[in-house]
Amino acid sequence: MLIFNQLETYLYLAVILFAIGLYGVLSRRNLIAVLISVELMLNAASINFMAFNRFLAPHPAVGQVITLFIMAVAAAEAAIALSIIMAVYRKLKSINVEQATELRG
Amino acid sequence: MTEHMASFPVLSCMLLAPVVGLFILLFLKEEQGFLVRMVSLVSAGISFALSIYTFVGYDKQLGGLQFVEKYPWVKAFGITYFVGVEGMNAPLLLLTGIVIFTGVLTMWELKERVREYFIFQLALVTGVFGVFMSYDMFFFFLFYEIAVVPMYILILIWGSTRKIYAAMKLTLYLMAGSGLIIPGILMLYSSSGLFTFDMLQLHGVAFAPWIQKIAFVFMYLGFGVLAGVWPFHTWSPVGHVAAPTAVSMLHAGVLMKLGSFAILRVAMYLCPEGFQYWAQFMGLLAAVGIVYGVFVGLAQTDLKYVIGYSSVSHMGIVGLGLATGTVDGLNGAVFQMFAHGVMTALFFSAVGFIYDRTHTRDILELGGMSKIMPVASAFFITAALCGAGVPGMASFWAELLVLVSAVKVFPVRGLFAIASLVIGALFALRVVQNTFFNDPNPKFAHFEDVSPFLGLPRMILIGFMIFFGLFPQVMVGLIKTSIVPFIQGM
Amino acid sequence: MGPVDHLFSICTAIVTLPLLAFALIMIFAWKKPKVALAISLVCSTIPLILAWYLFLTVRDVSLAKPIVTQVEWLVSSDGFRIPFGFLIDPVSLLMLVIVATIAWLIQIYSIGYMEGDPGFGRYYADLSLFGMAMLSLVSANGLLQLFISWELVGLASYLLIGFWYEKFSASEAGKKAFVVTRFGDIGFFMGLAFLTIYFGTLDITAVNLAGLKHTMPQWLLTTTSLLIFCGVAGKSAQFPIHVWLPDAMEGPTPVSALLHSATMVAAGVYLITRLFPFFAASPTTCSVILAISTITLLLSSTIGMVARDIKQVWAYSTISQLGFMAMGLAAAGLVGGNLFAGYYHLTTHAAFKALLFLCAGVFIHHFGTNDFFVMSKEGGRYLKIPMVTVTIGALALAGIFPFSGFFSKEAVMGVLWSLPSKIWVTLGLFGAFLTAYYTFRVIFVLLFPRPDDHKAWEEYYEVPATAHSHGPAHSHGHGPHGDFSHDDAHAHTGSAPGHQHDEAHSPHGHGDEHHGVPWVMSFPLIVLAGFTLVLGFLQGRLEGFLLGESHPHELNYTLLILAVGAALLGIGMAWRDWGAKSATWQGFIRNFPSLENFFIQKWYMDHFWRWFLDTVIYGLFSKWFTYNDRRVVDGGVDAVSFSCIGGGRLLSLLQTAFLQYNLLFMVLVLAGLGIYLLMGL
Repeated sequence: MLIFNQLETYLYLAVILFAIGLYGVLSRRNLIAVLISVELMLNAASINFMAFNRFLAPHPAVGQVITLFIMAVAAAEAAIALSIIMAVYRKLKSINVEQATELRG
Repeated sequence: MTEHMASFPVLSCMLLAPVVGLFILLFLKEEQGFLVRMVSLVSAGISFALSIYTFVGYDKQLGGLQFVEKYPWVKAFGITYFVGVEGMNAPLLLLTGIVIFTGVLTMWELKERVREYFIFQLALVTGVFGVFMSYDMFFFFLFYEIAVVPMYILILIWGSTRKIYAAMKLTLYLMAGSGLIIPGILMLYSSSGLFTFDMLQLHGVAFAPWIQKIAFVFMYLGFGVLAGVWPFHTWSPVGHVAAPTAVSMLHAGVLMKLGSFAILRVAMYLCPEGFQYWAQFMGLLAAVGIVYGVFVGLAQTDLKYVIGYSSVSHMGIVGLGLATGTVDGLNGAVFQMFAHGVMTALFFSAVGFIYDRTHTRDILELGGMSKIMPVASAFFITAALCGAGVPGMASFWAELLVLVSAVKVFPVRGLFAIASLVIGALFALRVVQNTFFNDPNPKFAHFEDVSPFLGLPRMILIGFMIFFGLFPQVMVGLIKTSIVPFIQGM
Repeated sequence: MGPVDHLFSICTAIVTLPLLAFALIMIFAWKKPKVALAISLVCSTIPLILAWYLFLTVRDVSLAKPIVTQVEWLVSSDGFRIPFGFLIDPVSLLMLVIVATIAWLIQIYSIGYMEGDPGFGRYYADLSLFGMAMLSLVSANGLLQLFISWELVGLASYLLIGFWYEKFSASEAGKKAFVVTRFGDIGFFMGLAFLTIYFGTLDITAVNLAGLKHTMPQWLLTTTSLLIFCGVAGKSAQFPIHVWLPDAMEGPTPVSALLHSATMVAAGVYLITRLFPFFAASPTTCSVILAISTITLLLSSTIGMVARDIKQVWAYSTISQLGFMAMGLAAAGLVGGNLFAGYYHLTTHAAFKALLFLCAGVFIHHFGTNDFFVMSKEGGRYLKIPMVTVTIGALALAGIFPFSGFFSKEAVMGVLWSLPSKIWVTLGLFGAFLTAYYTFRVIFVLLFPRPDDHKAWEEYYEVPATAHSHGPAHSHGHGPHGDFSHDDAHAHTGSAPGHQHDEAHSPHGHGDEHHGVPWVMSFPLIVLAGFTLVLGFLQGRLEGFLLGESHPHELNYTLLILAVGAALLGIGMAWRDWGAKSATWQGFIRNFPSLENFFIQKWYMDHFWRWFLDTVIYGLFSKWFTYNDRRVVDGGVDAVSFSCIGGGRLLSLLQTAFLQYNLLFMVLVLAGLGIYLLMGL
């Protein structure tokens, strides 16, 4: 069987993408990079849904609909996140996440 | 206990008169100073008159709970509005009436934010009345909290020495006490199986001994914080010093009695075996408090601190009486609650008059006040003599009852308590001598003596003190009617 | 039918009228001297008449068969019933008339003495309070009513000693009196507590009966009687808590006469008399009382020998005579005798000691000083009535025939003689010697002043600056004149205001002596002198009245000679040292200077108590307890709050505000949950 016809392939792909995205979110210091990593994670989730949809779900449209949802939400969230980053930049003159620590205890 | 329903809701009127007064005050303006004071005085006066009525109108032959009003409130939780009068709380209702009435008169000269002051004071008094008359644990606790919370505002805004620290300490400490009470109450509530907060019904339930012991100690320590039980008393001197005069009168005179009354009415009533288990400990703490209070009072130089520590000592006598668990001891304890309340109210009232004029309470600075204002000084001196245990005044009988029964039940502790009488006399007279005798301080020489109107509240207090000093049977006969069944029911 | 039917009402009237006076004066009349005086006099004359009426008409009572009437005052439980009532028997009847009479005489005397004093109304109110308390004390049937009256008497004493409260020494003395007697009273209270608990009742008749028939367990009897004696020691100024009485002389002299010589301090001895069968049943207690009272007798006599203030001399004399009375009672208890000797001495002492004080008061009022050396120089001997009466009083005190003191001292010595050990009677005789000595030291100094150039004046003429000169009561002439037709020597000049207070220095040409002393002041002197003369011869009848029968006494001639000898020896020594032309005015004690200093320092008792108070009570207990309160207990509370705040600060360090740590934490929790759900289920 071709690996491309097996579910596991796409799940592995999604997991690797998610892991890369997670690693990026947790360790990047640039806020934009964090945002990009978040997008990666969202896409990984979409791939996951599509994979399950293609191999397991009865109706072909469900996964695709969810993916479209994810993309729409991602776009909205990116817009908001970017405006927050703009505001942070105006305040702190930097988008280094280590500088944004005013809520420190 | 038999319950005799009231034909006219006397107790609810007593409870609500301050509330009505409070509402009227909300609509008045600060500039209408005289009207504000009159409204407060009238509502306090109504409660006072009604408290005299219940005291005198209680039928001793009939016994039981009288003037009862009982309305179900939240049936799902078993909460009822249950108020009544019996021998134990009639004197305390009377005490509250006396102190609030004389307190309003004492604060007649207040100048700043008068309306708000009386609003909070009336709210406080509502809580106090409610505690004394409630026989439902939920309402008991509810009113208890209502009585504690306004203290914070009253001390914070109208207080004097170290008011921020004192207000915070007092309120948080009393809240901590409440934090101990609630588990006790809920423990009893949930383990009774009856799902009711009604104290009379709960009394019939035989709780398991371990439940009683734990619930009792929680409630004893929690209520004990308010009652000034050693070593949880340190909020009291600080708080009394900082509070404005009538608030001190109310607090030391009445609120501290809430604590000991609650120990009697709730803790000892519902957990008799728990009480037996902890009685020795109670007696020990009380005896320590008695001796401790007098010795520390000896070293003080601020008049109100002296009174504050004297209160700690006298509340120790109440605690000792309660701990004996005998008829005489409990009679004496309740009598002492009343007598000490009146005496302390008189003390603070007298000090307030002097402080308002001289703006100092330091006994080293004051001197010879008897020459400058003899009548005002006489009020304080009378209170001091009462505190020293001179017969002819109410607290002598109370102390007699408590000390004799204490010697019977706890010989060593009782004898130490008796021995503290001499130090009590010493510190009372030392304060009197330093403040009122010797050469007058020329700074204060021009002050006028107390006017008849301002002397009125103090005379009322002295009158009650001496009346019950000469005719103690009026009080003891009433208290007895509820204590005897109480002891038998234990 | 006679007084017995209305006994309760009569006794209640006797006791409550003065109380009414106190209340009325304090509320309405304390600034109105004449009204206060009227109220007070009415409310002391009526009890006087009633007391004498009872004394003279109540028959058919005896110690064994008293009349008891009472009502319930406080009933707390069946084990605790306090009655209010009266016990009428010969002992209480006699004491009632003593108290009522002397109180009445003092009130009359004070009209003159306290004239012009701004606190005149308050003074009479306090005297009335005292009257009520004392009368209730002597007629009480329950020990608790007695204790209450006892405390109230102490209160009146406090108010009266500190009467001139602007003076530091006066307020200090009042406080000292109250606290020291309270110290004794806690013993009394404890004794009463034990009696209530273990014996069940505080009824005096029952207690005495238990003592008589030995129905009380011995340990209870001894403990309780010793504890009650603590109260007696405080009130009657026995060693070692006698220190308040000399200071109590700060009060006006009539107060000293009434309270601190005749009646209040006698209350302690009266209590022993009242409970005589009870005390007598415990030999231990009687021995203790005997020992302490003997020490008191001797200690205070020695101090009286060196004092310069006339009131101090009489005060120490009172202390020692109280000891003497207690000796008589204790000794009688030990040998199975009766209470007559000690009680009789109490009676005679009341009369002559009040007399001595009132005479002193006249001198003080006249000369403005308490120092009798100064009085002597200023011509004290020329005030005739006081001089005569003071000599009568002194002769009685020294125990010279035919004055009352002779008879009563003989009676007490007789009881002491019958003790197995003769040491007691020897000490008693020594005490008699000292008594006569110090008494006549005063008399001779007053009677025979030295000429101005005598070298004794170098030592004796420093007038101690205000010492005990009693402030404003020394009539400045602002008082109400006219009502009392007294011709005070100096007011004779026309009662001008601004007339000097120190006419002490004006020469003693006061004109006719009978203008020297106002009649309100000399009348009581004469009455008391009369009692002093007569009481001696009433010994037999009094004994019959008190005990029911009179024991014929065989005269113990040895004792008689010894006692009279001791007294005469004392007078002789005093004459040698102070009276004779060749006297040097230095006491024989001057030969032992360290001893003399010891006596002048009052045996260092005041120093001891001051040290005890300052170092032990204040320094040790009070300071430690306060430190404990501030630092330990309160510190604990503050520590709780600080630790809450500190804990909060610590915990807040967890808030690093690093975005990614929060995210990491979230992810870890989710991962954990996920693993748990996927695996564990």
